[in-house]
Amino acid sequence: MKFAIAVFSAAHAPSSRRALLFAQAALAGGHEIVRLFFYQDGVYNASGSVVTPQDEQDLPKQWRNFVTERQLDGVVCIAAALRRGVLNAEEATRYQREAAAVDAPWELSGLGQLHDAVQDADRLICFGGA
Amino acid sequence: MSTLHVLSHSPFGDDRLNSCLRLIGANDALLLTGDAVYALQPATAPFNALSARAPTLYVLAEDAQARALDIPADARAIDYPAFVELSLHYDKVNSWL
Amino acid sequence: MPKSLLIVSRQAPWSGPSAREALDIVLAGGAFDLPIGLLFLDDGVFQLASKQDAKALQQKDLSANLQALPMFGVDELFVCGDSAAERGLAPSSLALEEVQALNAAEITALIDRYDQVITL
Repeated sequence: MKFAIAVFSAAHAPSSRRALLFAQAALAGGHEIVRLFFYQDGVYNASGSVVTPQDEQDLPKQWRNFVTERQLDGVVCIAAALRRGVLNAEEATRYQREAAAVDAPWELSGLGQLHDAVQDADRLICFGGA
Repeated sequence: MSTLHVLSHSPFGDDRLNSCLRLIGANDALLLTGDAVYALQPATAPFNALSARAPTLYVLAEDAQARALDIPADARAIDYPAFVELSLHYDKVNSWL
Repeated sequence: MPKSLLIVSRQAPWSGPSAREALDIVLAGGAFDLPIGLLFLDDGVFQLASKQDAKALQQKDLSANLQALPMFGVDELFVCGDSAAERGLAPSSLALEEVQALNAAEITALIDRYDQVITL
């Protein structure tokens, strides 16, 4: 079965870890993830600027490794990302900002990608809040 | 049609549990994750509200274990593979973000 | 047949970007001609209160966006009657004429009718 997984909370939120564990279990169960979509504070999971305390789980790194190793489509909502200062090189140049925080495998794109994933998948699962 | 409602906020000082219990359907189920498992704290208003409505109840095992909360006899503790299967058993998943 | 999506908006208009970001999902769906529904629940009903003045907070007034929804092909608009009543909002006083007030049982049925749901 095909899953679309949307994450609405930052890397330090427990729901982000739950989303990752769910995603890993979905693939382990032989299912497909059509897209991971990061919205609202979920965009922070894609930020390369996050520095996790040494004695905590590094969720941004775990997400990045997961998406890269499993060759998944990891999309970050561009409007939500800009508002939160999570820019890639192109947007940093466009808006004349000092730092670019987002790099491959993450792609900044619009909400159309979320709708597209919802149409394609058998299930949409959202993680966020707390 | 059936919906798996997923909660992750503490029910104390938050209205998600009560709102959810108001509109959860006969074929639906409720999965408590994160701080929402505090609704299992006995002899509290959220616990009583949950018992009164008595939806089909699932609990993410790791969250109950971390908080030393007992899982009621009529609820089922699940792990992530079971969470995945549950999301397919119900027609859709409604996470109360 | 495209899958239908219900957005449940639960936050008050200026409690952060949530109300706007919920609306953005709805507008994007409408722009792609997808079957989208919008339900205002809990504090989300405050988005429909009349005579609001966003300018007083230097905030964006979302009511223009809400009024524009039917133009985006989104005319499935609902409000939880209980949430509104609890918050002292009479259905007749709501700023959006096309919104349909539903009770709890009707909301259960509403969620059942849609293929997917996002509650934020």
